[in-house]
Amino acid sequence: MLEVNHLRKSFGKTEVVKGVTFTVDKGEAFGLLGPNGAGKSTTISMICGLLPYDSGEIKVDGFSVKEHQMEIKRKIGVVPQDIALYPTMSAHDNLIFWGKMYGLSGKQVVKKANEVLEFVGLLDRGKDKIETFSGGMKRRINIGAALMHQPELLIMDEPTVGIDPQSRNHILETVKELNKQGMTIIYTSHYMEEVEFLCKRIGIIDHGEVIAVGTKDDLVKRLSGGTVVKMEVNHFQNRLVEELNTLPLVEKVMVNDDKTELEILVSSGHQALGELVSTAIKNFIEVSSIKVQEPNLETLFLQLTGRSLRD
Amino acid sequence: MKSLIIAWKDFKIRFMDRKGFSLMILFPILLTAILGTALSGVMGEQSLPKTTVGVVQNGTDQIGDYFIKDVLKGKELNDFVSVKIVDSKKKLTSLIHDEKIDAGIVIPNGWSQDLQDGKLKKVDLLVDPGKELQGSMMNSVLQTFVNRVITTSTSTKIVLTNTAQTLSPKEMNDLSIQLSRSLEKLAKSNAKYVQNASIGKKQVSGMQYYAAAMAAMFLLFNIMNGAKSFINERETETLARLMCTPTAKLSVLMGKFLGNLYFCIVQFSLFLVITHLLFHVNWGENIIQTISIALMYSIAVSGLAIFFAALLKDSKTADTVGGLGVQILSLIGGSMVPLTIFPNSLKTVANIAPNKWALSSFIDIMSGTTWNALLLPLTVLFLIGIVSVTIGTWRLQAK
Ligand SMILES: Nc1ncnc2c1ncn2[C@@H]1O[C@H](COP(=O)(O)OP(=O)(O)OP(=O)(O)O)[C@@H](O)[C@H]1O
Ligand SMILES: [Mg+2]
Repeated sequence: MLEVNHLRKSFGKTEVVKGVTFTVDKGEAFGLLGPNGAGKSTTISMICGLLPYDSGEIKVDGFSVKEHQMEIKRKIGVVPQDIALYPTMSAHDNLIFWGKMYGLSGKQVVKKANEVLEFVGLLDRGKDKIETFSGGMKRRINIGAALMHQPELLIMDEPTVGIDPQSRNHILETVKELNKQGMTIIYTSHYMEEVEFLCKRIGIIDHGEVIAVGTKDDLVKRLSGGTVVKMEVNHFQNRLVEELNTLPLVEKVMVNDDKTELEILVSSGHQALGELVSTAIKNFIEVSSIKVQEPNLETLFLQLTGRSLRD
Repeated sequence: MKSLIIAWKDFKIRFMDRKGFSLMILFPILLTAILGTALSGVMGEQSLPKTTVGVVQNGTDQIGDYFIKDVLKGKELNDFVSVKIVDSKKKLTSLIHDEKIDAGIVIPNGWSQDLQDGKLKKVDLLVDPGKELQGSMMNSVLQTFVNRVITTSTSTKIVLTNTAQTLSPKEMNDLSIQLSRSLEKLAKSNAKYVQNASIGKKQVSGMQYYAAAMAAMFLLFNIMNGAKSFINERETETLARLMCTPTAKLSVLMGKFLGNLYFCIVQFSLFLVITHLLFHVNWGENIIQTISIALMYSIAVSGLAIFFAALLKDSKTADTVGGLGVQILSLIGGSMVPLTIFPNSLKTVANIAPNKWALSSFIDIMSGTTWNALLLPLTVLFLIGIVSVTIGTWRLQAK
């Protein structure tokens, strides 16, 4: 359905997309996971034909984006990262407008608008203006607007930023349902859980490069036995970090902002536990809890980049 | 086809917006009422006493020049008042003493320099004690003129500063109170001797003049509003979303242009009908001429909106530039003070203001004109529109 090959893009002198490559099959849900500024939105803009790319190639359904813009735009539905709706128009009118922009008309567009409203669970609020909606409801209409023309490929750019857990769950269920109905989905996020819940295959992107692609299991297997140990301490000294770093099993030590928790990447979790605790005790630091984290994508990201997915 | 959908969407958004609606439709009507009544008024049938008035003008001042040239020496007062320009106040006093003149007026240096703050400097009126009738007539003429200038400038200023921003209901309320206060002040002033002659050579009433002036001025706001509507779409990403749909860039731009055009046309039509019904404004014998000018003017305004959308980066700049631009254009285009007040050099400059072309054409039509005479303004307005929409489209498409 989608092939992205060695895609490159610079803004001025800074290259923000550096040879991104991945493919998405028909009917698949693909997750693009990466921290702020990784280049997710830029990549998506290029797929949608909003932004010209410097080199590389994007093909949708075998058509090159450069040559067949209009055909491709008809196949794609885009949910932008920001709410792209007209606040003083009603939800219903917004949906109708976007439907018409995709060539729907007459009774068909009205019927579809009602279906979409029902699908996102806002049929009773259809007549209300978007500006009266809560953040979560706006997000739902923002998604609905991309569904009006029943796209083959739905591209969602962080559709759950800044909303309450209830709306978030609703959205995730909605997307899952769409995928079940056969829609191909690309979902970008910096929330590992969302991507894990929705997507079979996942690409991890950082600094404009895809640093790993595969199913969740594939990716986790790539962890070279590395494990993250979370250790809570009731006071903190820099010396502790220095000493921990000298231990042979320890690969990296990270401290959270309020200096109560250490995330320690070790090559073998269970073996290291004893040494970690005794180092703390030697430094007269009391450990209030310690646990070995199940290996997950966050661990992988940490291992690959030395940074965590979110600040 | 797609551009019509976008245009209709834009029109609906603008028309349904209550604040926007009152600013763009109710305000010009209210202002026409205020300014029009300030200017109209009947030169009574009764014969006025013949008066010779001496005038001393210290320094130069535009309002002063206008007062002497178009009011005292103007057509309406011509039969009763003869003007004698005098060098100094001393001379003036002695002339009154010698009964060579009936009254004397001393215009201070920089008479209108504080007009910004709604003030005119005090004028000295000297009257021969034996010529009370002439004295009170001159007093009325002077008072009325001062009131008119102040009201015009104040209320225009109030509206202009406020129209530049979006208003909350409370602010709207305050604004109406401000306006009605100006109206009240006017009602109290004894506006008996306001005369119509100031409006160029044409026989149009003050109400007619200001109806045309307000139409020209308020349509001008669509340059700013249209540009802002585009900039808003850019800022809120709806433009990006539009570009994700299978719609050509050109259709989107045409849609934005047409949406603004619809609004201009509806705004003008409503204004025309309401001023006619409410204030009996006579827009002239040939309504087709009026409509043609309005249409070309709307094209000019909508074209300029696209031009400025391409030029300006964000909506804040658009507000500042737009607010200032409308003020300048309204001023040099004759919407605040009649064009006749201007020195010739400024009249030439006024030709760059599209509202000047619209306004003077409306006035011409009101006083009866030929299609031939309208050919130039029609062409100028059309060209302004086409050239600016072309440049704007070209710049925006490149992005
Ligand atoms: N128009 C632009 N001009 C210059 N730099 C840009 C532009 N758009 C994006 N960038 C830069 O490109 C980089 C990638 O941005 P992008 O928006 O693609 O990141 P992202 O992965 O979507 O991040 P987020 O999770 O914050 O949305 C950032 O460093 C950003 O500053
Ligand atoms: Mg982004």
